[in-house]
Amino acid sequence: MSNVVLSTSVDTSIAENAENVILSARNISKSFPGPVIALDRVSLDLYTGEILALLGENGSGKSTFVKILYGIYTPDHGEILVRIGRVLEKVVISSPADAMSKGILMVSQVPQLISKLTIAENIALTLTSLRLRGVKSFTSLTKILKIICEESERIGIKIDPNEKVYNLTYTQKQLVEILKAMIVDAKILLLDEALTYLPLLERKRLYQALYKLRDQGKSIVIITHKIPEAMEISSRIAVLRAGKLVGVVNTQETTIDQVRVMMFGEERAKQISYIKMQTISSRGEPRIVVKDLHVEDDYGREIVKGVDLTVHAGEVVGIAGIAGNGQRELLEAIVGLRKMRSGEIYVGNVNVKKKGVKGVREIGVGFIPDRLLEHGISPEESILENIAASTVRSGVNIPWNVIEEISRELINLYQILTPSTRTPVKYLSGGNILKTIVAREIENAKKALVACNPTRTLDEVSAIYVRRKIKEKTVNENLAVLIASEDLDEILMVSDVIYVMNSGRLYGPLAPETPREEVEKLMVM
Amino acid sequence: MLKRKIVPKYYTWISTVASLTLGILVYLIITLLAGINPLEVLVNIARSFISPSIVKDFFVLIAMGCALLISFRAALWNIGGEGQFYIAMIPGVLLTLFIFNPRYNPASAPLVILLVALTGAIMGALWALIAALFRAYLKIDEVPVTLILNYIAYYIVNYLVFGPFKGRYVYGYLRTDEIPEIYRLNVRIYLPMRGDPLQVALQGLTVQLAYYIALLILAVVVYAFTWWFFKYCRLGLYTKIHGSNPSYLQAMGVSVNHTILLAMTISGALIGLTGSMYLLSELGRIPYEIERQTAGYGYLAILVSWLSLLDLKMIPFSAYIVSALRNAGIALQVAGLGGVEQSLLLIGAILLTYSITRFLVEYEVRVEW
Repeated sequence: MSNVVLSTSVDTSIAENAENVILSARNISKSFPGPVIALDRVSLDLYTGEILALLGENGSGKSTFVKILYGIYTPDHGEILVRIGRVLEKVVISSPADAMSKGILMVSQVPQLISKLTIAENIALTLTSLRLRGVKSFTSLTKILKIICEESERIGIKIDPNEKVYNLTYTQKQLVEILKAMIVDAKILLLDEALTYLPLLERKRLYQALYKLRDQGKSIVIITHKIPEAMEISSRIAVLRAGKLVGVVNTQETTIDQVRVMMFGEERAKQISYIKMQTISSRGEPRIVVKDLHVEDDYGREIVKGVDLTVHAGEVVGIAGIAGNGQRELLEAIVGLRKMRSGEIYVGNVNVKKKGVKGVREIGVGFIPDRLLEHGISPEESILENIAASTVRSGVNIPWNVIEEISRELINLYQILTPSTRTPVKYLSGGNILKTIVAREIENAKKALVACNPTRTLDEVSAIYVRRKIKEKTVNENLAVLIASEDLDEILMVSDVIYVMNSGRLYGPLAPETPREEVEKLMVM
Repeated sequence: MLKRKIVPKYYTWISTVASLTLGILVYLIITLLAGINPLEVLVNIARSFISPSIVKDFFVLIAMGCALLISFRAALWNIGGEGQFYIAMIPGVLLTLFIFNPRYNPASAPLVILLVALTGAIMGALWALIAALFRAYLKIDEVPVTLILNYIAYYIVNYLVFGPFKGRYVYGYLRTDEIPEIYRLNVRIYLPMRGDPLQVALQGLTVQLAYYIALLILAVVVYAFTWWFFKYCRLGLYTKIHGSNPSYLQAMGVSVNHTILLAMTISGALIGLTGSMYLLSELGRIPYEIERQTAGYGYLAILVSWLSLLDLKMIPFSAYIVSALRNAGIALQVAGLGGVEQSLLLIGAILLTYSITRFLVEYEVRVEW
């Protein structure tokens, strides 16, 4: 299927020309079913000791590109050269394990760690399977512990290697992933939106770790949809649009606006604005009422500790907070997906404890879940079937022509990139899967919308569109909206009332014009 | 080795054909090693593919393959086709032999037949429901439960034949009385069976088709139902989603437990229906040791469903192959080329190569050096 041919011959001419190139991708193309071309002859060099930011809107091919470098996908055409010793050699990267053995390591949004094992056990798994650093199947854990301690000290990450992974916060898990990269001595680190969900302070800490790595001569590719982030930490920015490389610029010689134009084109870049959306003055009756709610997390620990909250019809209530402070569990409990330990929840006239998720959904409550792949879609089924499953609630037959119409409309409105309405959702890019879910749930919301991070993997233009749409519907259809987001900009932009969630408790309500610094203070106290 | 992101549609066909060819090849090599002339074996196998005698199995396996497909698509592994098939015959015997004596009211025969079909479906559904309840509410895996229920069904039916259902006009045989002719669903036609081999085969086919007309109708009806179920029915969509991500169903406010119960009972009902129709058109009575009366349609249907890669379009194709192979096994036995183990060996060889090709459909294997 692929035209990449393994060869041990060395292309010396290239090696001479670019001494500090550590990896060179040449004419990489990749297509997926339907008329979707994910990558179209992309050529990109990565230098030793640099941080390269890879930007592009949803579905532009960023993830596909790094997944090819990490051996998850194989390219249809093109070749990859990696510096081995003093020369660049053509290589075939056939699997992540293969990539790791060539010194390439990827960290994605979702930490790839086994929750029930300790940090040391997780790292031991990687080391033994790769037989790195002299670790074999029977190497004692003590030796591995020693390696971990040495490395974590060296780059200044403080962790207890004997801690079970499920006890770690998201940030700590991502730190472990980066530590793992250090331990396997990766020359090239690929970060696929790995920092996206990290709270600001922790992100800054990670930047420091990345700078250290860069200064040690490691090369880092960072995928992000946050242009300011790219501007802050990268030395070069590469932009992909619709599978093509638009250009590579030196970060110091460009501006945010220039990068936006590269990403979205002149016309669409103009749509980007972070001005606070109009707040309304009048609000309707209480639609979501939460009283003294206590909820447990997946491991039986109390994570929501006595929350009182009211969302009125016609207003957007935003919950700011760092991931892992109970927002997800709170929202899941409100729609009836998670059992409550004690307390009361009413959505409309529905007593959630009694009627459960079915009762809540039946009155027209949209839910954008935090765990998208678990609660948001059925990956094997098409967009059409996914939309039908959530919208058709009665009758024996599914009115496919109606569903088809709705699907087409949503695909157009939200610019979901898909070959057809019948393509299984699993073939869509991460951003487009989120768009599908968001579009469907905003459509489903007749009385209320409960959303957890509704735009986190969306590019700027799409994210702003989604926020506008939610705001519009709140006003026009008298919807009650509750949004929890790790993106403080988002909360500040859309909320009529702001709360902060910290360690299972809710702080607020704060007025919509509360200064950013004050909100941040509550988030990290 | 890479997992394919997209599996081209024609791969399904290629893999099915390839697994068959390779399976037969493996089988031939084994027979050769056992000192049997592979050519003779091959001729017998080939002949069974064009033999009219496979129509009965073909129809039954289409119906049961579809029935199992409904539970398999929900990732509910109903291994209890056997039990649901036989248990469904109980109300049939009860109705035709004990309750509605045709001597008193022959005009009611169509109604009785409908009643037999209906009660058969209900019985099959209830039998499957037991396993579904265990699965839904006690989280007990349905595979061992359905499997165990097969044996319970065998023993219940055998007990009945041994005791309360024991026939009065059976010349000492252990079986129920013959179901009255008026309830039987066969159309008997007589053809001379003359002419060239093709003509004889066609005549044979006509006779078989007429005789098993009820099974033909059953296969068409069950197939059409299954098509509708997956294409249009809301529950069909829930069934598929249960097979791919039950958490999504839950988040949509659809009861996962009800989906399990419904998918399993519909599957069981269709098998029960098949069982009752089989009673009226083929068996005509229940003989003792019921489990020896068919080649285990409940198990063969699993093969049919898997061989189709859970694709409804492929069900007739795989039903045809499985019924031809089953008949090949019998033909080989008759020809003195081996015993029952010959057909088992053949099916085993095909399952083996099937698993390998199935793997190759989903994964791309590259050799690097």
